[in-house]
Amino acid sequence: MDAPQLAFKERAAAALADGALKIAIERTTGNAERKRAAAVAAFPEFEAARARGKAIKDHVIAHLDHYLEMFERNATAAGAQVHWAADDAEARAIVTRICLDAKARIVTRSKSMLGEEIGLPHALADAGIERVETDLAEHIIQLAGERPSHIVWPAMHRTREQVAQLFMSGHDPAPAADDPATMVQSARRILRAKFLGADVGISGANFLVADTGATCTVTNEGNAELTTTPPRIHIVTAGIEKLVPSTAHAFALLRLLVRSATGGEMTQYTTFHHGPKRAGDADGPEEKHIVLVDNGRTRMLGDEFRAMLRCIRCGACMNHCVVYRQIGGHAYGGTYPGPMGAVLTPVLDGLAQSRDLAHACTMNGRCAEVCPVGIPLPTLLRAWRRRSWRERLEPGSVRAGLGLWAMVARRPRLYRLASRIGVRALRLMGRRGWVRSLPLAKGWTAYRDMPRPSGRTFMEQYRAEQAGRRTPE
Amino acid sequence: MTARERILAAIRDSLGPRRAAPQAVAAEAAALLENPQATRPRLAAPDLAEAFALKATALGTTIDHVPDMAGVPAALRRYLDAHGLPPALALQPAAELARLDWDGIATRPTLAPDEPVGLGLAVWGIAETGSLVIHSGPDNPILLAFLPLHHVMVLRRDHLLAHLEGYAAAMQGAAQPRNAILITGPSGTTDIEGSYVRGAHGPGFLHVILVGP
Repeated sequence: MDAPQLAFKERAAAALADGALKIAIERTTGNAERKRAAAVAAFPEFEAARARGKAIKDHVIAHLDHYLEMFERNATAAGAQVHWAADDAEARAIVTRICLDAKARIVTRSKSMLGEEIGLPHALADAGIERVETDLAEHIIQLAGERPSHIVWPAMHRTREQVAQLFMSGHDPAPAADDPATMVQSARRILRAKFLGADVGISGANFLVADTGATCTVTNEGNAELTTTPPRIHIVTAGIEKLVPSTAHAFALLRLLVRSATGGEMTQYTTFHHGPKRAGDADGPEEKHIVLVDNGRTRMLGDEFRAMLRCIRCGACMNHCVVYRQIGGHAYGGTYPGPMGAVLTPVLDGLAQSRDLAHACTMNGRCAEVCPVGIPLPTLLRAWRRRSWRERLEPGSVRAGLGLWAMVARRPRLYRLASRIGVRALRLMGRRGWVRSLPLAKGWTAYRDMPRPSGRTFMEQYRAEQAGRRTPE
Repeated sequence: MTARERILAAIRDSLGPRRAAPQAVAAEAAALLENPQATRPRLAAPDLAEAFALKATALGTTIDHVPDMAGVPAALRRYLDAHGLPPALALQPAAELARLDWDGIATRPTLAPDEPVGLGLAVWGIAETGSLVIHSGPDNPILLAFLPLHHVMVLRRDHLLAHLEGYAAAMQGAAQPRNAILITGPSGTTDIEGSYVRGAHGPGFLHVILVGP
């Protein structure tokens, strides 16, 4: 990948030191949190809708082969060509081959996280094809040469002033002012010519509708339709977990997706794409290709991460995550950031490279509370911690420390003696109620203060209370 | 083995050998849609047109009312005048629109890349969300809904559906168009610091002419 391969801790430290980043993250996630809360409050049936959404996803996952074959049959009947890719390399090869066979020079792309996951941007560049990102945020990060930092707002790490700099140098003519409205107008002008001049348009899919063979996209900008209508070829890349039985099931999930993602009730453009242009149609592509991508998903089906296949990519978990809101998306180092990314990245990139992510979690449970399909994200993160321990991926110092703790914890007398000494020593180190630096845990106290303990252990206080039958103050 | 065979084999490995018959899966899927009122929002008003208008205007869509189709050209003229636009537009090549009296308004069946105004027919309106449905076809280019800065849609009152499921039911077993689009408000973006800006790629203005007594 293009980012230098720093360790997670170094990336997180750099993010924490970036004041502008903190402001940019807070603006977007804070806004998203408030708007979601208002949308859920205005929909008293939300809890029941969430239970239904979860049940729909579980039903599809339990019959995934059945629905994949049904989708393939109906998409083919609608005139689309269905391709299957077991991993990211196969998916890249299929898309690149279709583009090269069509002698494509310009390819427009409507934002798709699966496209990022399979490395499509680099594959197109390597094939010598001009790639034009059409989602405004993707356009911003394409100019900046960056990867998305959020699955719904990929450029949320960029302030308005930074976007203005990118547009001033990247747009010809440059925008006349740096307010958001003028900059959006500038992007509209630049991209319109690209939409109409593209040879191939590539989109993702929010849903694959099994009983009609439709691929469904949702956008607020209208870029998906402008990407997929004018070119001669429309290519869809989608993960196999995106299936729903029917259009009505898609609507049930859509109500959850939009409210959880942006706090809206409906995206401006919700489009069901059935195959290529029909005979006599006024516009539309002559070919439609759908690439169904596995890339680790069938592996998740067979292990404790199966529940993660319910994910509808709304981003609510990251908007409500205390860790994401401190470090932003790039620090996670994978395609998907935040809690859902910390679960998915080890599947995609391997646990050895990404074991730190499962530890970068406070287990406060906010992500699971807001997940619209009830994914137990903290439980899944604990599962990665357990696997990392089992596979001996934790560094020696952690293993030795936890081994020592386990030895003491199994000997109650020793444990009580150690904790009595510990709380008294910590009390001596504290000032005004807080311990600012801990020996052996400087990495932890570098960013946090620890509350100064009371000076007596829980067991000591409990005994005193039992003896005196009085409440300690 | 092809990728298709490998993926399906991996799924069957994980799911195990005891599998439900297709009819049982279909019954289970249908059961997941029972009692829809328990999991969908109530309408914003008891009257469909009123509920539709409340939702649509909240998103920045404007609405005009005319009693019948013959009133559409005059309503369009009102809109053009209010926005200081010249009396010209790209008109969807549908028979229902072509037969109207467009006297004094220059209509074109073609679309310029920076078309100022486009007018088309909505197949359905959805009261729950304030959405308009369009279908691609020989008489409906999809770009008509995206290239113009001002998108004007004619919606017949008796084509209003209460909920999203109503649209799914209406299309059950019907021939699907290449594109079926639910349009809910003008194009917008919040990609720069969360500021809402209209007219991101598609229309900056969406105007509905609601037709019916």
